[in-house]
Amino acid sequence: MSVQSPPAQAPPAPASRNPAQSDGPAPGRRFDRALASLRHTPGQLRGLLAVLAALVLGAGITGMTSILAKSAVIEETTSQSGRLSVAALQLYQALSQADATAASSYLSAGTPSDEMNETYRASLRDATVALATAAGEVKTAEDAQLVAELNTRLPVYTGLVETAKTFNRLGEPVGATYQEQASTLMREEMLPAAHDLQDNALGQLSESRSGAEAFPWAAAALAAAALGTLVWAQVWLSRRTNRVFNLGLVAATVLLIGFAGWLTMASLASASHTTRSHEEGAVPLELLAQAEISAQQARAEESLLLIARGEDEEAAKRYEAHIEELVASGGLLDRLDEAFADDPELSAAVADAREAAETWNAGHGTVVKLATEGSYTEAVEQAVGDEDDSLATSFDALNTSLTDATEVSADRFIEATADAHRALSGAAAGLAALALAALIGTAIGIQLRVAEYYA
Amino acid sequence: MSQQRNRTHRTRLAAAAAALTGLLLAACAGPADMEPPEVDVPTPLPAGIDFSPEVTASVPDDSCDPLASFAPGAVTADQARAQLDNDGQISIGISQSTNLLGYRDPVTNSLAGFDIDIARAVATALLGEDPNIKWVPMTSNQREDSLKEDRVDLVVRSMSINCGRWENIDFSAEYYRAGQRLLVTKDSGIEGVADLTADHTVCTGAGSTSGGNIAAANDKAQQVTVPDFNDCLMLLQQGTVDAISTDDTILAGMAVQDPTLEIVGEAFSVESYGIGVQKDNTDLTRFVNAALEDLIADGTWANSYGDWLEEPLGTAATAPTAVYRD
Repeated sequence: MSVQSPPAQAPPAPASRNPAQSDGPAPGRRFDRALASLRHTPGQLRGLLAVLAALVLGAGITGMTSILAKSAVIEETTSQSGRLSVAALQLYQALSQADATAASSYLSAGTPSDEMNETYRASLRDATVALATAAGEVKTAEDAQLVAELNTRLPVYTGLVETAKTFNRLGEPVGATYQEQASTLMREEMLPAAHDLQDNALGQLSESRSGAEAFPWAAAALAAAALGTLVWAQVWLSRRTNRVFNLGLVAATVLLIGFAGWLTMASLASASHTTRSHEEGAVPLELLAQAEISAQQARAEESLLLIARGEDEEAAKRYEAHIEELVASGGLLDRLDEAFADDPELSAAVADAREAAETWNAGHGTVVKLATEGSYTEAVEQAVGDEDDSLATSFDALNTSLTDATEVSADRFIEATADAHRALSGAAAGLAALALAALIGTAIGIQLRVAEYYA
Repeated sequence: MSQQRNRTHRTRLAAAAAALTGLLLAACAGPADMEPPEVDVPTPLPAGIDFSPEVTASVPDDSCDPLASFAPGAVTADQARAQLDNDGQISIGISQSTNLLGYRDPVTNSLAGFDIDIARAVATALLGEDPNIKWVPMTSNQREDSLKEDRVDLVVRSMSINCGRWENIDFSAEYYRAGQRLLVTKDSGIEGVADLTADHTVCTGAGSTSGGNIAAANDKAQQVTVPDFNDCLMLLQQGTVDAISTDDTILAGMAVQDPTLEIVGEAFSVESYGIGVQKDNTDLTRFVNAALEDLIADGTWANSYGDWLEEPLGTAATAPTAVYRD
């Protein structure tokens, strides 16, 4: 830009007033004229305004959209993929519970207790509701396939369980085969599908999370560029016009600083809450759910082993594997201990769960020994009876501890997600308003100088 | 110029609007544009089912005289008891899941069946009234090992006597002669093993001799094996297989559970049930043989056969005659 001193020079005819304009000049000529106008101060001022307007508007729009996108993502963790992962988890839990209950009520000599019937029905309800929810939330063809597979198998499963119950009431041994069959369908087809669905949902959730935690660099860079240009423009103008302050530009600067500050604060705060919701909420919730599922599956295998009159080596091995997942060193309970190390309420619940699991596992050994050494009646009584030292009692205690911990952990997750959301509340509208006000300030400040040339 | 600026402004607004719409669309893109999933018809199958098992037709083993056991002679209960693992208690390997032979009733929780009656009578002869019996449930492929590894004193679990098993364990005299037949639905039109065609599927237990016997009698029928033959009944009820083939005693235990099924055809194998004894517990084997002779003579055998098997099998039967090697 060549240095020229205003306002002594005669203002050049603005390009738009050129009569040739109306004939629609060639683009090359228009560009030449625009270039020519930049050699004169009013043209330079307009050029400056255009650059500033673009930067401020760009910062405003990217800032606003990035906050809106973040907000949408956080919304999503509590709604869409959040709902899908919660539904998938509930489905997995409900199916495991249904199977464990069906298998152990089969053992209760023809007439299972009302409580067992109620638990079985409730877990089927939970499973079907979770399936319906998941069906409405799936976003990929793979997930839709999994939901469809689960949907087609659930009625087959319940059919087998009901057939088993009927034969059991009639005292026909083939009932045991139907019950084993139902558990095989659950174990080999349904639970893996539910597990895949849950994995996919959690994967989508963690993708969203990294989106929500990302800093809006584009908006921040544009805001910084706008600020820099604004400051440079004021220095340049004050040299050119010998006036120290241009109120419009000063106001725009202050507004932009506010804009940058708000953008940074809101993004950082929201990211830290999102991280907290993941570490203190989602991760332990997932571990707790896995622990519940392992416990339910172990319980189902234990019942199958007894239904098979102790003549099922595979069920015995599967029981061992599920209990290992829970209590082995580095297992789920160990990992929960680690996750809840600085939370007395939750670590107490995990300690209770561990005690119950160990009592149960010790009792399991006794029951299997009884069953395989001829005291089948006592074995079944100890496994499904409601005495204080029965396996059912230990299993229920384990389940209760894990459920309690899950409730507390779920509250933590919801709190942190709400905090993350709150950090962003009003930010989008506020940033838009600040950017718009800065734009107006810039326009007024520069237009006032331009006007001086035509005064 | 102002017109131009207005235009650029409008373009920008339009761009921003387009970007926002794009965002919203991305958020809404959902199942609407997905193909409906395709799912196979779910057919519940037991774990470990094999639709194309390797089966070779069984050939008779003439390497020994399997039915010849040790003659009772003058062995006393004291001598036999000395060979028990635990004086005063006898541990017997049985099935708790084979209806009519050895079965734990889920309602009464009592253990009952033809094998159980025989085992109880032998134990009573050995230990006196109200004997202390430790029942040890086991799968059919645990039978030989549990004797070899000294986990039980006797095995009374529909165990066929054959030369291969004699290498590992000793056998009592034959206490029941079963044969392999077919269980089919009453309207199947199948009347014997010869009626099976290549379109028919026959279910047997994996690792049993049943498959080889079918292959020897009819090499056209398709075989399906399952780890536990009890699964066969469910598969027949669900229409997955056309027939079940195993010992008629076991088929009888299935037939009584479903009035739409029947046992058909002549037996096409001979299964001689014997009581398994640990190798070299010869005194115990001799005493068991004496006890078997007694329980056949005093009508216990006939009563038990009448209680469990006569009606389902539809024929009267007499106890097999014992054969001894010495």
